[in-house]
Amino acid sequence: MRLRIFTYAVLVAGCLFAIFPYFLTVLTAFKGPGQLSETMPWEPGLPPSTAAFGRLFDSGFGGYLVNTALVTAGITLGQVVFAILAAYAFARLSFPGRDALFWVYLSTLMVPPVVTMIPLYLMMQKLGLVDTWAGLMLPTMLGTPYAIFLLRQFFRGIPADLEDAARIDGAGRFRTLVSIVLPLSKPILVTVTTLAVVANWNSFLWPLIITSSEDKRLLSVGIALFKGEIGVDYNAVMAGSLIALAPLLVLFIVFQRFIVRSVAVTGLK
Amino acid sequence: MLRPAPRRTRQVGKAQQTAVAYALLAPSLVGVLGFLLAPVVIVLVLSLFDWKLLSTPEFVGLANYSRLFADEDVWHSLLVTLYYVVICVPGTTILSLLLALLVDRKLRGMKYFRALLVIPWMATPVALGLVWSWIFDPGRGALNQFLGVFGIDGPAWLSSPVLAMPSVAAVHIWQFAGYNMLFFLAGLQNIPRSLREASSLDGASPVAHFFTITLPLLRPTMLFVLITNVIGSFQAFDTIFVMTEGGPGDSTEVATYLIYDEAFRKFDFGYASTISVLLFAVVLFATITQFVYFERRTTYEVSG
Repeated sequence: MRLRIFTYAVLVAGCLFAIFPYFLTVLTAFKGPGQLSETMPWEPGLPPSTAAFGRLFDSGFGGYLVNTALVTAGITLGQVVFAILAAYAFARLSFPGRDALFWVYLSTLMVPPVVTMIPLYLMMQKLGLVDTWAGLMLPTMLGTPYAIFLLRQFFRGIPADLEDAARIDGAGRFRTLVSIVLPLSKPILVTVTTLAVVANWNSFLWPLIITSSEDKRLLSVGIALFKGEIGVDYNAVMAGSLIALAPLLVLFIVFQRFIVRSVAVTGLK
Repeated sequence: MLRPAPRRTRQVGKAQQTAVAYALLAPSLVGVLGFLLAPVVIVLVLSLFDWKLLSTPEFVGLANYSRLFADEDVWHSLLVTLYYVVICVPGTTILSLLLALLVDRKLRGMKYFRALLVIPWMATPVALGLVWSWIFDPGRGALNQFLGVFGIDGPAWLSSPVLAMPSVAAVHIWQFAGYNMLFFLAGLQNIPRSLREASSLDGASPVAHFFTITLPLLRPTMLFVLITNVIGSFQAFDTIFVMTEGGPGDSTEVATYLIYDEAFRKFDFGYASTISVLLFAVVLFATITQFVYFERRTTYEVSG
């Protein structure tokens, strides 16, 4: 009994510690400039003020938000679709070079993105894609080795008999993939999509390098540069951070059960 | 149960299957070969060139490497990176393992606690860096205001050369402890419950049980968590970019930051590539060392 109370106490403390920066962000974002210096950081500013958000949106933040949502959706869609196709080929088809190629894919997991950053930039320059949507999205949207790996493992666990039956009935490869394999793969698809959305929404270094014009600016780059432009306007900086943090937080709350269960799956190799 | 004839004997064209396979693989092949493998080759080639913005690339052999070995900034940034890794990796690993032990119990509401602990993992690192800069703010920030309640005069966390790095590393630990907890939790739940009951019947203390049974059985999870964290923390950039910009002085100038600086502020692509190669070599070395270490330990257990 005493152990249980102790466990709960530690858990509550841990969870408070995990989420208190979010609280501070919300509190600070809704304070007016005067309230910031009159209240403790953990006290709410009364009445709440949305002035900070007004300043943000005046400086083009709405555009960054739309850009980030569209680019995240576009890259994620590409990554998931192309990873499904590749994973299906690796899991179900036999062709010369399959195992060697799969090994090549896996080995690229060890390449740190920092290492590829300069060559990628120069490649985009050669292709004339610096500061374009294509340059921003192309290098990552063709499927990630990690997603391909996770999907392949899952597809291999689906009994091939199911597909054979459909194929005897005359369904083609593509039909069996869409109507039999994918519906059975929902858990792993949620995992792969979540990992992709988080990575793409949060992406910073590549957008920082490859885009320069303001109409193509993403949230992450926007708030990082914002700090330099306006100095220590913590109200506005926290309002901007809140806009960046909130959508993933909502996503997490909605899919919380799936995510917690499925993230753990990815570590089991 | 009767099975249909093995698929592979169906001669409906091996060639056709190969064609379908490569059609399905085409997009990811472009991605993996063109945007992951080719850049590795290119960065190696670039490291042999002197190439600044607006100049024509000139082959200089290993000149960049001799400059690298004599460059104190590079070695300093490598040490700074190692310092960051040495705080983050054990900090994250130990904390996440402790959390996993804590949430691996059947208690009411446990799934909500698990979920709350994972939330920081999803946070945009740049936004997070700004939020923590605000918490660490020496004047109005939450941390020093909180310390002030107890009459403690808190330091200027991020502008002190001594405290800046531990502060930045603490944010990394805060962000990833809950996430890594999930892997340990999965590992713990794979350990048969009968083992736990057996050792408690033997009268082993929970602590002894942990070190003799649980920890060795968690070895594959441990390897996964260590490797992903080492690779991840060697590449720290986003939070440092917004929290300290490598400063104060160069006390948080990690390797990634130096590479970014050389390539995209000084436009010295050749030399920046050389530093990239060095960082890649260090990350590879660290990864392979861990594999070998864990391999040996496992063999030792089996033979001993």
